[in-house]
Amino acid sequence: MNRKELEAIARDWFYEQGWKPFPFQRKVWTAFLQGKNGLLNAPTGSGKTYALWVPIVLFHLQKLKKDNKKKGLKAIWITPLRALSVEIKQSAERFLKDLDLPFTVGIRTGDTSQKERAAQKRSMPDLLITTPESLQLLLASKNYQNTCKDLSAIVVDEWHELLGSKRGVQMELALSRLKAITPGMRIWGISATIGNLDQAREVLLGKGSRAYHNSVLVKANLRKKITVRSIIPKTMDTFPWRGHLGLHLLEEVVSIIRKSKTTLLFTNTRAQCEIWFQKLLSAHPEFAGEIAMHHGSINKETRIWVEQAIRNESLKAVVCTSSLDLGVDFAPVETIIQIGGPKGVARFLQRAGRSGHRPGEESVIYFLPTHAIELVEAAALKKAVKHQVIEDRIPYINSFDVLVQYLTTLAVSDGFYPDEIFPEVVSTFCYQSMTREQYQWILNFLTRGSQSLQAYDEYKKVEIEDDGLFKVHSRAVAMRHRLQIGTIVSDAVLSVKYVKGGYLGSIEEWFVSKLKPGDVFTFAGRNLELFRIKQMQVLVKKSRQRTAKVPSWMGGRMSFSSEMSDLLREQLYEADHPEGRPSAEMKALSAIFERQRRESIVPGKDEFLMESFKTREGYHLLFYPFEGRFVHEALGSLLAYRLSLLSPISFSIAFNDYGFELLSDQEVDVERLLDNDLFSTDYLKSDLEKSLNASEMARRKFRDIAVISGMVFTGYPNKLIKSKHLQSSSQLLFEVFKDYEPDNLLFQQSFIETFQHQLEEGRLQLALERIQQQQIIWRPCNKPTPFSFPIITDRLRAKLSSEKLADRIKRMTAQYDK
Amino acid sequence: MKTRAIQIEHQNFQLHPRGAVYWEAQQILLIADVHFGKVMHFRKHGSAVPMEAIYENFKNLNQVLDYFRPKRVIFLGDLFHSYQNMEWDLFREWIKERQEAYMLIVGNHDVIAAEQYEALGVNVEEEYTLDSFFLTHHPETKEGVFNIAGHLHPGVRFYGMGKQKISVSCFYQNENGLILPAFGAFTGKHLMVPKSGDQIFAVVGDEVIPVQLSP
Repeated sequence: MNRKELEAIARDWFYEQGWKPFPFQRKVWTAFLQGKNGLLNAPTGSGKTYALWVPIVLFHLQKLKKDNKKKGLKAIWITPLRALSVEIKQSAERFLKDLDLPFTVGIRTGDTSQKERAAQKRSMPDLLITTPESLQLLLASKNYQNTCKDLSAIVVDEWHELLGSKRGVQMELALSRLKAITPGMRIWGISATIGNLDQAREVLLGKGSRAYHNSVLVKANLRKKITVRSIIPKTMDTFPWRGHLGLHLLEEVVSIIRKSKTTLLFTNTRAQCEIWFQKLLSAHPEFAGEIAMHHGSINKETRIWVEQAIRNESLKAVVCTSSLDLGVDFAPVETIIQIGGPKGVARFLQRAGRSGHRPGEESVIYFLPTHAIELVEAAALKKAVKHQVIEDRIPYINSFDVLVQYLTTLAVSDGFYPDEIFPEVVSTFCYQSMTREQYQWILNFLTRGSQSLQAYDEYKKVEIEDDGLFKVHSRAVAMRHRLQIGTIVSDAVLSVKYVKGGYLGSIEEWFVSKLKPGDVFTFAGRNLELFRIKQMQVLVKKSRQRTAKVPSWMGGRMSFSSEMSDLLREQLYEADHPEGRPSAEMKALSAIFERQRRESIVPGKDEFLMESFKTREGYHLLFYPFEGRFVHEALGSLLAYRLSLLSPISFSIAFNDYGFELLSDQEVDVERLLDNDLFSTDYLKSDLEKSLNASEMARRKFRDIAVISGMVFTGYPNKLIKSKHLQSSSQLLFEVFKDYEPDNLLFQQSFIETFQHQLEEGRLQLALERIQQQQIIWRPCNKPTPFSFPIITDRLRAKLSSEKLADRIKRMTAQYDK
Repeated sequence: MKTRAIQIEHQNFQLHPRGAVYWEAQQILLIADVHFGKVMHFRKHGSAVPMEAIYENFKNLNQVLDYFRPKRVIFLGDLFHSYQNMEWDLFREWIKERQEAYMLIVGNHDVIAAEQYEALGVNVEEEYTLDSFFLTHHPETKEGVFNIAGHLHPGVRFYGMGKQKISVSCFYQNENGLILPAFGAFTGKHLMVPKSGDQIFAVVGDEVIPVQLSP
């Protein structure tokens, strides 16, 4: 059977379903059957799954005609979210069944039972759906080379999600190995629209590799009409200047929910999600049973139930977080409401796309600003949607922690020869610039736990056999490594259960550690009383108490993308000089801008605003670069450092997406600040490195690095493993490295990641260059301005000081418990 | 290096910024929670904690011993983190060269058999009373005596203007007794919640600083 005949089979099947293949689907079929690799750019709900399942099956159909069916794994489908695997399996099975083909489809994720895993080990399904972590686990099992030898294709779904993360690096490494052991394998990625699609393809296939040269980029180009509407209150008098909840617009939201069949309310954090759900119910008890909540900490059964209920149209509204961003197709959703700024255009568009799935239908998304200035964001988002401005996903470079993990994985399964693996590793995008010396460092780290052989050492992890094979012999090391592979997100997580039994979900340890037995907190939409904490379990009872603490989960804070901040500045500069008719958002803001002008100014294109004032808390200095919180965090610490060189002083630094604040107990001589050219780009990196803040941030980055590289063992959710003597916080480890082994590559990586991913050094440079072109306008004010309000009330702060620790402490006090 | 003199029950004590306490009249040096062997325990299990942290413990011990030249040294528990490993060999060689008398008050981590210590000339006790002082690993209260203990790895957090926060290890004294900071280089600290009237001495670099408490 030739390619044309095979494609005809698929086309006929599509017609039988009452569908017509899209041009992008046919393009992918052809390219795949011609033996090409590629990247498919298509949004969720567009038929991307059949764009790739079809040619995979057709390819094997052709082989089947030639000789009898061979047993074993033929294709792997990678999905970043376990929740999506069932749907993908159903799609594949539907096509297989209608074509009456004898292929089996299996799922292997963290949810797969031990029994099923064992069965799979004896006989692999023909088509396997799995996650990046479970693929690593496959590489950690004996004889993986034999298991994978007949692989003809691997598909990485939602590649844009993995790309800017270390799970993406895990994928790059796994692909480099699979490429080497199965030369005929095709590699395909599926990605939503991002700014750097070409780079995404390069990262997937390897920079300048053969696989890359034999590849195509297929774009679905299904443009959809998206309408953005801001929810603007009737009067601005009551509109808060700060806050992140947006509850003052609850009634407006209720009327939107009432008008539509099903509404999804996207919140930015799980805490916000819990609060909105509660408030909706208490203000409108008649919604009971008709609204639900969905976020990452809620147990799987509930989440699946909610997803099913959306499909059945039995829910009026669902309050959710990014947990519903991906995958799963919900045709009945009519309306989307975004509560608070989505921080990025791509995320906003993706959410908008969750509604009106039928071709040709318009997607409507409402934007609910949580405080006044966020209305500027709303106006900027409208523009972004109109002009299709979309962010890049920045891939990681030289993530040594993931490499340590990967090499241990290979040492756990069949062992590896370093010289055989080195060319594979440097063929990936992530490690393209890794030197042989750095590789040797990693090997020493694995086998000796240090760079020199030391007397009195009992370090044990990977051992070198006589013929040079690197292998893990200790069963305990191997077991701990396998348990650890899945934990790329690392804060210790405890499960929440009723005393009488019944699993509610999982919660981060640091929140629970702040509670005492008897305290009431809100979780999964319920008010619960903490009974006690026992062996990684939080035992709770139902509580009748009305008020409760709401856990504010970590990782909830996101920053503006550079595209978003450009748009925002543009929008703001127009406040004083509108081009054409001002938007409804800007009109609504006029009262606040009026107030801002009375106290200070609204900066224009060529102006950079600084404000200073004094309150009970101390002396405030405010700066407004409008560059997003990560850049502001860096700028704040940079400026604080440079100021602290002039005279000994301590600052606490607060920042949001619009600007940042330096707060001190001493008054800052602003004239001196301006005279000393503190926004200079000279010595940027070294100044940043010296600012105490970089080390604070590196400490946070180090947490993941320590877990991924296996230096900290976190145990395993829901399983109690006796390893108490092995528990140490990554914090402590960070201190030890700082004091005794500062040249450790993994320790240094925490700083590099801080500069590249957290401080966004490149963006910082550009921001400083821009500020140097602007005129600095300093306004001493009598009281906090509307612009400053959301910043000075933020409690998440960084610190910087040039005073001697002892001198500072002598002026400070510790609080006693009253 | 600046030590700080304090008086308890009419006796003079010196607090050393490395985390040790010297009892002048008795010429006894008190040290808590060294956690020898912890680094190696981690390394044995595949976690590459820097070896240098091991040598740091010995360096610090030598430093405080040279400073006070005590007659006796009493370890207030958790001298070793876990079972014997090569750090024990280092310890054995180190203590052979020392002239002082040594005692260990057993802590919850101390699982190495008492005979092993006795063989090195280290007395092992569950607790020890001298004068009106009661030495233990876990902080305890006992009528008529003043308790000196370890175990908690006490730390204190400071608050200042401009929303500043800093936490450091400390000596912690309340009406029941005195708790020593952890001496070991790879130990960490537990933040205490001070009560009015407690006396806290923070270890800050090369100084020991009394802490002001505020409501």
